[in-house]
Amino acid sequence: MPKGPLALIVLFGIAMQANAQLGVTKLVGNNTSQYTTGFTAFVKAGYPVSDGSDITLEIGADIFFLNDGYGTADGTIMCPLVAGYRYTLNGTGEGFYVEPQLGFNLAGVTSLHDAAGNQINLNYHGVVFAAGAGYLFNIWRAPFDLNLRYETVVDHGGSNNFISLGISRYITFGKRNKQDY
Amino acid sequence: MKLFLITAVISILLSACLKQSIPDAMLNAEDYGGQADVTATLSYKVNGNPVNLTVPDAESQNPSSYTLGCTKSGDYDLDAITSSGEFTFVFLTDSLTIGHYVFPGGYGPQFITTYNGQDEYTYYPTDSMSFNVTSYKNGLISGNFSGQLTPMLSTGNNDFGAPSSVLITNGSFKNVPVFY
Repeated sequence: MPKGPLALIVLFGIAMQANAQLGVTKLVGNNTSQYTTGFTAFVKAGYPVSDGSDITLEIGADIFFLNDGYGTADGTIMCPLVAGYRYTLNGTGEGFYVEPQLGFNLAGVTSLHDAAGNQINLNYHGVVFAAGAGYLFNIWRAPFDLNLRYETVVDHGGSNNFISLGISRYITFGKRNKQDY
Repeated sequence: MKLFLITAVISILLSACLKQSIPDAMLNAEDYGGQADVTATLSYKVNGNPVNLTVPDAESQNPSSYTLGCTKSGDYDLDAITSSGEFTFVFLTDSLTIGHYVFPGGYGPQFITTYNGQDEYTYYPTDSMSFNVTSYKNGLISGNFSGQLTPMLSTGNNDFGAPSSVLITNGSFKNVPVFY
């Protein structure tokens, strides 16, 4: 097995929390008005590094449909892999948090039609920056994460920028080390 | 922690300053098979009255029916359809290159353009149209032109008006595709 995927599996394996999320997302910026609201899905693993913060690793997919009048499946798909630092503001691991993330877009494809009606598929990768904020809370002891984030993928001298809103349920595999002083 | 957050925010702000999306950047940089959108333009003045034409993605025009382009058919014919009517110029050559091209008067009426419903020709010996092709690369030509034309009167008898009374000035063309 290649070392990259194996390392991913190991990292997810030692994680103490995991999220699976669905959400809505919208491309923003110049020349994005023809894109409809898209969908985002990701799996995220977290490893507590203190009472109020986690190192996170996330792999996801962002899908945006392009309404360019051709009635086909034109649009953009990106699969970012990002690492982040989730810091809860009250230091408890619950409540409001902020989470900057940095990573790499494993695959990106934009399909569109040019003025002559020819289909074009553009493939790219790129560096990913994201800034998110959210709220970790429980409903009947089930932990949830409501979050909003801004994400940008940079490649070829351009950037795909989007805002996502999602809610996820996360599973905790272990407890934080809490010490009484 | 603060340093990390500040670095992340600055990175995002800097990347957000990029004014084009990745697909637009790739198309503009011709990363996709050299098929970037090219905007062709044609502009000139007829007795001081401006005529302008802009054609986005000019290379995607139909070679047999276009708004602004040049076709090789023995010689090279530049044709445009502007808001004031048709415009045409014949490069009298079988191999178009950077250079100076003249279509002189005195060789029979040659239609050049329509303006305000009136057709303008090179007809009298004092008439002429001259084109300078200053750039020809990637199948696109650019340059400038000027001329003196004679109007055809609307008598229905192919009568012509005052010789060389219509002046074409400040003519320029850019990124006009040449179709073969």
